[in-house]
Amino acid sequence: MRTVAAIAGVELRRFLRDRSNLFFVFVFPLILVVLIGSQFGAGSSSGRVVISGADSSLRSALVAELEEADVTVSYAAPDAASEQIARGRVDLGLELTDAAAAAFDADEDLTVVVTSSSSGGAITTRQQVDRALNSLQLRLRQEAALVGAGADPAAVDEALETAGSQVVAPSVTVTSESSVSEAFAGASGFTVGASAQVLLFVFLNSLAGSATLIQARKYRVVARTLAAPVAPVQVIGGEALGRWVIAMVQGLYIMVGTALLFGVEWGNLALSTLILAMFAAVAAGAAMVLGSALDNDSAASGLGVGLGLVLAALGGCMLPLELFPDTLATVAHFTPHAWAYEAFAEVTRRGGTLADIAVELGVLLAFAVVLLALGSVLLRRSLARAI
Amino acid sequence: MLEVEAVVRRFGDLTAVDGISFEIAPGETYGLLGPNGAGKTTTISMIAGLLAADSGAVRVLGEQMGPSRVAGKRHIGLVPQDLAIYPELKGRENMNFFGRLQGLGGKELATRVDEVLDLVGLTDRAGDPAKEYSGGMKRRLNIGIGLLHRPTLLILDEPTVGVDPQSRNAILESVEALSGEGMAVLYTTHYMEEAERLCDRIGIVDSGQLQAEGTRDELIRLIGGLDRVRLDGSGDLAAAADALGGLAAVEQVDADRTGLSLAVRDAPTAVAELVTRATAAGVTLADVEITRPNLEQVFLHLTGKALRD
Ligand SMILES: Nc1ncnc2c1ncn2[C@@H]1O[C@H](COP(=O)(O)OP(=O)(O)OP(=O)(O)O)[C@@H](O)[C@H]1O
Ligand SMILES: [Mg+2]
Repeated sequence: MRTVAAIAGVELRRFLRDRSNLFFVFVFPLILVVLIGSQFGAGSSSGRVVISGADSSLRSALVAELEEADVTVSYAAPDAASEQIARGRVDLGLELTDAAAAAFDADEDLTVVVTSSSSGGAITTRQQVDRALNSLQLRLRQEAALVGAGADPAAVDEALETAGSQVVAPSVTVTSESSVSEAFAGASGFTVGASAQVLLFVFLNSLAGSATLIQARKYRVVARTLAAPVAPVQVIGGEALGRWVIAMVQGLYIMVGTALLFGVEWGNLALSTLILAMFAAVAAGAAMVLGSALDNDSAASGLGVGLGLVLAALGGCMLPLELFPDTLATVAHFTPHAWAYEAFAEVTRRGGTLADIAVELGVLLAFAVVLLALGSVLLRRSLARAI
Repeated sequence: MLEVEAVVRRFGDLTAVDGISFEIAPGETYGLLGPNGAGKTTTISMIAGLLAADSGAVRVLGEQMGPSRVAGKRHIGLVPQDLAIYPELKGRENMNFFGRLQGLGGKELATRVDEVLDLVGLTDRAGDPAKEYSGGMKRRLNIGIGLLHRPTLLILDEPTVGVDPQSRNAILESVEALSGEGMAVLYTTHYMEEAERLCDRIGIVDSGQLQAEGTRDELIRLIGGLDRVRLDGSGDLAAAADALGGLAAVEQVDADRTGLSLAVRDAPTAVAELVTRATAAGVTLADVEITRPNLEQVFLHLTGKALRD
């Protein structure tokens, strides 16, 4: 075990020692998270919402909440509103029917229809609207409860104002016209970007880093290692562990970095770390395959970068998987990225549990087992070429 | 402590090693002398358990060697012909890593690394990446790594190739020192002077076969073992030839127009007598030259070709 750890340790050290790695591993990912995050709007310009429906106390209350959240509100008739949404002039449309307005006045359940446009800010704006609806509904319930319990309506308003910040928002039912925005509900723009970047960089830098396996043969250090009292299986174990640790360092760095710098929420930490660990094992296996099958280190790092980019794009790490047409989405699931992406989406956006991501984890495990096994066989063979 | 028994190794149609056998006793320094492509490195790779022999066997302290056998490797310190170091790691980090593979750790490792760095003269540069070392420093690091675990058998594969004369001398001196401490050494080279200087016994390898084996003197005796003495001069050369031919040390005398050529046993001792007799016989000497046979000539005799092209 000490031998395996020594071999893994030296691999990690070499990885961290490589100057060009430092940029691509530690700086570049965060830059991309910022770029992609702002594309999805978290910190970008305020959202634009068009409301259709006659003036009502519902409309005034909702607009007040939206404006509080810095959302720009405009009004239009239903047809005109649809057109604005279709053209992406606004991020979202809210349809407030007369029935809904009446239900609001009567303190009854009501339904608001939300339509998303395809604009970049739609996802974030949708979250702002959801929050506005939540707090509106919450406020109504609390008011009703307190007034029902005999409190003075005026005092209730004031008390709620101060207590508002401490209240946890309950779920709210909304009818959505767009599955895309539904999928992103609960995610800040940075979260969408961050989990995709974790996958992209863990895989890409693992593959590109496979060149060190080839260099170790070229530098004759593999031969020297085998001349020490070290069994081939220990070399293989050490290399596999080293690759995995490198992938974990990359992934955890982006996770911790984005959490600290951009407040990205990674959901249940044990689960998201488990997803990363599984994906890192897949990346480690793929790197072993690449680094054992090829004998030219610059070809391996070039191919690694190329493959890393293509697989990431295909797996939904550049353009979100939710925006893929059906056929492409099927193809995407031939990449480990797509499975890990969905597992992350479940955990970070929808508070998924272990049971919710069991299938994704199972598929990742299968990827890892196959690639690590193949990588071990190929690496074992490559050792003979290293003498 | 090392037994090599008729090892054979083929690469496709080429038989790189064709039935080599020899033994090394504890503390002995054994040289494999042979030209490029003779099969020295291939033999060493089989001894170190890196390559499997197609037939034959290698045992180190009774342990069978081979790619999947670990036990015997503990006793061997291999210094490969090509540098085998991580260029991006510091000298000390290289030593730490390979020391760990040998089962060293903790304080023992740290102390030993310091000792070896000192031995190979790299203490000052231990904190620099190996890729920034000069060629000679890289070679010394390469050698040092093989010494970390105090092997019973140190294998050095042409350690002085491409090294400046000063570093080369330092390397030879440390091999002598290690051998003096009782370490057995297997040393390959195609420099005959190195083999003569360092080795208790020498095996001459060519075309994958051991052509001859023995101490330097034994090998030289193979080609007759006689020194050549040349006496240049003028006068009664024929009379001088008769006078010298009667001496016990002299095997053969030939006179020509400019002097005498003799085949002599132990020329350095005999030469004074030769000069006195020749002068007494009426020869005025202009030059005296002694040529002792060396391994180069042994090699030429055995293989019909020069050791170096
Ligand atoms: N891995 C290999 N594949 C094919 N042929 C090989 C291999 N290794 C060695 N050979 C061949 O085997 C023969 C012996 O090579 P080897 O390296 O043992 O010679 P050597 O005595 O060490 O020579 P040098 O003094 O140049 O180091 C050579 O003809 C070489 O080309
Ligand atoms: Mg050689």
